[in-house]
Amino acid sequence: MTVGLALLLSSCGDGKSSSGSGSGDKSEIIAIAADPLEYINPLNENGSPGIQVAMAVFAPLVTTDPNTGKLQNVMADSITPDKTSQTWTVKLKPGNTFQNGQALTAKDYVDSWNMTAQGSNAWKNNGFFSKVEGYDALNPPTPDGATPKPTSVKTLSGLKQVDDLTFTVKLKVPFSQFGLTLQYFGLAPLPEEVRKNPDAYKRKPIGNGPYKMAADWNAGDDIKLAKWDGYKGPNAPEAQSITYRFIPNADTAYNEFLAGNVDFVDVPPTKVKTFKSDAPDGWVTAVSSGANYLVMPAWDARYKNPKLRHAFSMAIDRKAFADLVGLSDPAKGLIAPDIDGYRDNACKYCDYDPAKAKQLLQEAGGFSDPVIISYSTTSATGQIFAEAIGNMLRQNLGLTVKYSGKAGSDITTLADTRKLDGLRFSGWGHDYPSIEDYLTPMFKSNGDANFAGYNNPALDAVLAKGDAEPDQEKAIKIYQQAEDIALEDMPLIPLYTKSNAYLHSAKIEPRVSKYVGVSALYATFK
Amino acid sequence: MIRFILRRILAAIPIGLIVTLGVFALVFAMPGDPLRELAGDKPIPAAVLAAKRAQYHLDDPFIVQYLLSMKDMFTGHFGTTFAGADIADQLRLRIPVTLKLATLGLVFQWIAGLLFGLYAGFKRNGVMDRLLLLATLVVLAVPGLVLYFTGQYLFGVELKWLPVSGTRDGWPMSYLLPAICIGITGFAGLARLTRTSIVDTANSDFVKTARAKGLGEQRILWRHVLPNALLPVVTLMGIDFAGIFAGAVLAESIFNLPGLGQFMFQAIKLKEGGVVVLLSTLAFLMFILINLAVDVIYGAIDPRVRNV
Repeated sequence: MTVGLALLLSSCGDGKSSSGSGSGDKSEIIAIAADPLEYINPLNENGSPGIQVAMAVFAPLVTTDPNTGKLQNVMADSITPDKTSQTWTVKLKPGNTFQNGQALTAKDYVDSWNMTAQGSNAWKNNGFFSKVEGYDALNPPTPDGATPKPTSVKTLSGLKQVDDLTFTVKLKVPFSQFGLTLQYFGLAPLPEEVRKNPDAYKRKPIGNGPYKMAADWNAGDDIKLAKWDGYKGPNAPEAQSITYRFIPNADTAYNEFLAGNVDFVDVPPTKVKTFKSDAPDGWVTAVSSGANYLVMPAWDARYKNPKLRHAFSMAIDRKAFADLVGLSDPAKGLIAPDIDGYRDNACKYCDYDPAKAKQLLQEAGGFSDPVIISYSTTSATGQIFAEAIGNMLRQNLGLTVKYSGKAGSDITTLADTRKLDGLRFSGWGHDYPSIEDYLTPMFKSNGDANFAGYNNPALDAVLAKGDAEPDQEKAIKIYQQAEDIALEDMPLIPLYTKSNAYLHSAKIEPRVSKYVGVSALYATFK
Repeated sequence: MIRFILRRILAAIPIGLIVTLGVFALVFAMPGDPLRELAGDKPIPAAVLAAKRAQYHLDDPFIVQYLLSMKDMFTGHFGTTFAGADIADQLRLRIPVTLKLATLGLVFQWIAGLLFGLYAGFKRNGVMDRLLLLATLVVLAVPGLVLYFTGQYLFGVELKWLPVSGTRDGWPMSYLLPAICIGITGFAGLARLTRTSIVDTANSDFVKTARAKGLGEQRILWRHVLPNALLPVVTLMGIDFAGIFAGAVLAESIFNLPGLGQFMFQAIKLKEGGVVVLLSTLAFLMFILINLAVDVIYGAIDPRVRNV
């Protein structure tokens, strides 16, 4: 009788569980709402779907511990800077191999990175190596319209193999955060046979991570992965097999989840208001690593006065705006809340105070021209957000506001060439979890993502000081000074930070970490 | 007949040139830089951007880009998409999907359209006629997007009768729901045209004459009304058939069927002129062939147009 009842109960719990021994079928189907991947090569991949799959097939040198937020070695045994943080020595753990059985050595890293740094290969993570000494020799300027030719120099002068398990990276200038950057999955090594002919391995990657390809992967197929026994790194995920299913339409992917056909899906923007009732027992949220801003054009003298920028900032009701965006919180600084060094009182000019805003605008000499807000017509919400901000500026500061809808890339091009008139939106998500990865790209005068065209030598100097500070705690304090300068000058007005929501089946419990967000790859099985 | 067919094919060549050039110009004129759009907010290193631009001829003038894609197309060197997919592979994978969807969709569309149209035409002004007219109005007024998602939610998610999306359940299961949706959105026009055409024909003088001569109702219907009433219907069915590709864009995107319509949608989104022109050319060829077939069928059922 007891046995019968137990069997009955076990068959009730989960429609998908296998035979009654208690060890459930540890496989999961993860929906990715994007066009199917065409290849798996972490070094030539910087988009979320590709990196997501790379995280299963490849292993990084180091990673962020999901429990403590501290850096943890994976393939690396140690990563140590010299006294100036300019030359870094990477020692690999012995005994790791690729999935083809070949030993993982320092040469694999050095050769894979050199291939990526070669501009004529046009691999997407080429830019990562711009900090390394010798990058410019592999990426000479190309005249407009010309095809970049392979250079005679094939290797970065800053990259040296010391022995089988050790290599050094010499940077152009000291950079205390370099160790953190090495957790990026886009730096994973390729084995020699793949390096010889990467195109032949586009659809059969050979990684060094916890999962290997379980079946042939042809165009249009799901990606099927099986646990690889040879993985000796820490944090091996629980799942025995994982299927990544590409469903380009996010609403369709969501419906596939509701029908019980996939175990994990991202909640698309259209379902932000309903997902909790759609899957009452199967949703998780986490702050997404990024922040969103309103960009002041630093090239336009009319917007130069910081008081005017503060006035704009204080005329914005961030709470109302975050509610409009949905699943969002008002931003209180320039960096994402899940980053070490985040302060929830960093911004002095981010409180909603229309009276103060008006006063600041007066002190700045007023603003008589119409304020133009450009929005991306390729985004479903661009116009709504622009009009919300516009209405606040109009009502609280008495300004005339005009709107200009353009393709997102056209707005970027206009801004890059300093021809954009007025304000626009921008967002940034870090590549490695460091406060520095917000400040350098967006506020350093030659930053990669300096949306505002901002330039302040004082801030550059503080950043350089932070980059040269080997003590992480001290470095963060220095970077916070840089954030303070940026907030005083306010080339970017902080708007909101977003959370992401996900649905999961009763079979799995996704890992939720305040440091690295939500992961279906590292789900536990019930 | 052979001369007629040859003449039509020859006439198609200049039209084909104009169509492909026009489509390419439209894609070229779309705002936005495709490679930047692909990268999102992340900066792209100058060398990478230059290499990609050169690979896809994006720095060449418009007419050179057009000629290069035509050359690629006619020499069979389709190359890869911006995202790295082999275009020839994609065509091999996607053409059967679209053909299966289109055929099934047309079957539903034609059966529903003809049945409703014929029935309403013969029983005009009856209760069924009025109900059917109302139904076609509702279908014409509901946007396809709403209908498709409602169908997906109702039959896929709630009732679980049919797959939500994808082709994993094979033919015909995976294709039933999208094909029914295509059928529902498309049948109304055909039904209304068939009905009107039958009503018009039944009221025409030659039918009255036939009736006055004392012919039986069945003979009048089958011998005199139907052949004449179906002439415009055949034309519309031909246009429907050729235009099914346009319907497939929406259905394939929502039901995640990896067909040509979904490919077209991705290509337009990413401003991939070469792919859009290639797919437009395929659609154009199909249009020409089907139109030719319709003309031939027309000649068979209506002797008057044989020598036009």
